Amino acid sequence: MLTAAASRRLVTGALLVPTVAFLAVAFVVPVGILLKLSLTEPAGPLSTYADILGSWVYTRVFRNTIVLGLMVTAIAVLLGYPTAYMLTRLKGFALTLAVYGVLFPLWISVLIRTFAWILLLEKHGPVNRMLVGTGILDAPAAFLFSNTGVLIGMVHVLLPYAILPIYANMLRIDSRLMLASDGLGASPWRTFRRVYLPLSMPGVGTGAVFVFLLSLGFFITPALLGGANNMTVAMLIENLVNDRLAWPLAAAASFLLLAAVLALLAVTARFVKLDTALEAR
Amino acid sequence: MLSRRHFVGVAGAAASAAWLGVPSARAQTRPFTFTSWGGALSAMEKEAFMDPAEKLFNVKIVNTSPTNQAKIKAMVEAKAVEWDLVTVGGRSIFAGRDQDFLEPIDYNIVTNAKALDKRWVQSHGVYNSIGATMIAWNTKAFPEGKGPQSWKDFWNVKDFPGARGLYKLFYYNYEAAMLAAGVKESEMYPVTPEKAKQAIAKVAELKPHVKVWWSAGAQPPQLLSSGELAMCSVWSGRLFDALKEKAPVAFTWKDGIAWGNAVVVPKGTPHKELAMKIANYSISEEAQTRLLGSGVYGPVLESAAKKATPEQAKQQVMHPDNLKLMMVLNEEQAGQYMTKYEEDWNKMLLG
Repeated sequence: MLTAAASRRLVTGALLVPTVAFLAVAFVVPVGILLKLSLTEPAGPLSTYADILGSWVYTRVFRNTIVLGLMVTAIAVLLGYPTAYMLTRLKGFALTLAVYGVLFPLWISVLIRTFAWILLLEKHGPVNRMLVGTGILDAPAAFLFSNTGVLIGMVHVLLPYAILPIYANMLRIDSRLMLASDGLGASPWRTFRRVYLPLSMPGVGTGAVFVFLLSLGFFITPALLGGANNMTVAMLIENLVNDRLAWPLAAAASFLLLAAVLALLAVTARFVKLDTALEAR
Repeated sequence: MLSRRHFVGVAGAAASAAWLGVPSARAQTRPFTFTSWGGALSAMEKEAFMDPAEKLFNVKIVNTSPTNQAKIKAMVEAKAVEWDLVTVGGRSIFAGRDQDFLEPIDYNIVTNAKALDKRWVQSHGVYNSIGATMIAWNTKAFPEGKGPQSWKDFWNVKDFPGARGLYKLFYYNYEAAMLAAGVKESEMYPVTPEKAKQAIAKVAELKPHVKVWWSAGAQPPQLLSSGELAMCSVWSGRLFDALKEKAPVAFTWKDGIAWGNAVVVPKGTPHKELAMKIANYSISEEAQTRLLGSGVYGPVLESAAKKATPEQAKQQVMHPDNLKLMMVLNEEQAGQYMTKYEEDWNKMLLG
């Protein structure tokens, strides 16, 4: 006879089988092949890794990519937090409209959205015309082909990934807790800081991790909106795969990026409880 | 080219191919497949080469896009070749020869190649249409007759002020920088470490004035039309396409860098003989003459280019009036210098 706990474990296991099998075939096996590929250079199994780590360009680009990802994450969370809070306060048609407003951009290709930003932000584009026309700026600003352009484009693409987990988290916060805090004499700011903010942090953690991980693979947006300095690891890997046909080197670069991400997440996990954050309770 | 999809597709193809490790049984039954870059070029090739070839050889031809040399390599290594004849940039001919994923061209079948300039005839690919990387400018930045007429002018920020755009890779820029430095085409190749260093230093000199390092062919016409850039290097096909829409852009053939679109045959295709026959047809005078009206890329066969009307001749690289002003890119050298000096080039860009 199975105990209740044992049979529950069995059911959980059975439910996991399709997902685990799918991941094994569609993810673990290809990653294994990629790892093998990264070790096949005739100059020695680790020569590809040595090539990349020994290169000024690659290490510089790795650093730039991670810094860019952190900046995008910070901006997306700062913009996403009040947006998510606003969503929790809306009802009925206004809520539907706002949720579609958040989701709609996800249905349009990143390439098209990036080109649209070029048209909006260019020297004589509508944004600059408005800023100069209203006297806010004396001369058109250079939004494009710099960090500014890349940040605008990437935050726009990634914002829903910050908003949605924060919103899901906020929905579950018991509003009576705020009433209780208020009743006990706390100011609104103190209630926010001591009650609401800590309760919504798991959502912020999830959103931040999503945005950061996705930002590391960005390629089209920095390539089109960025300047020479905005080279990302994904751009270098694409060049190695398609242009140079140097696949072992591309595989090694991919694994180094993966290792950098895992190391960074491990460090983050010391400060943020990632497991609870990912559950977004 | 720019696409995340390419990369995912290639990685996926490489992974599944290595994993399955078996030849595809479908290859024997599938129709003849021609692959090219897509857009205006694919439309032109279908009309000028593939549709007539279907009738001539009484076969069904499937036209697909986009082309990707990494995909050819993955298909060949997986022994699952899905493409029979592929249009590629010239560098892929030499990559395919060196990495052994292309069939050598059978010049017993591709006999029309005898009429071509020998620069367009290579062991593992034959060019069948021609374009160029040229200097173009916004007509408001420079009034008629005042635009830059050489790479020396392009580098001259005093007499030709304004923001510049250049291609993001060393490709074309080596040639442009050398011409700007006064090095003649005949002295440019073979590329030596000294010459590469000289070219990169020359580009570094202009770097403060280069606002955009473009990567997609659609960028230069757009950036020039909108006035974001005063002048930019541009691919002829994209430029002519924009000029049809009356874009405020002008160009010069002077110091143009001519290059071609070549057809190659992936190693192990079941339709090898037919691929050679169609490649041969595509460089026949009949097929080449059809390119004159396309207004995108031009014929590689000089006798066909000479048939251009005066209006058409303005857009033909191979027209003697234009070609004499230009140089021809050595794609074999380009493939080598791009790989060899990639670190130095990127260092210059990041620095």
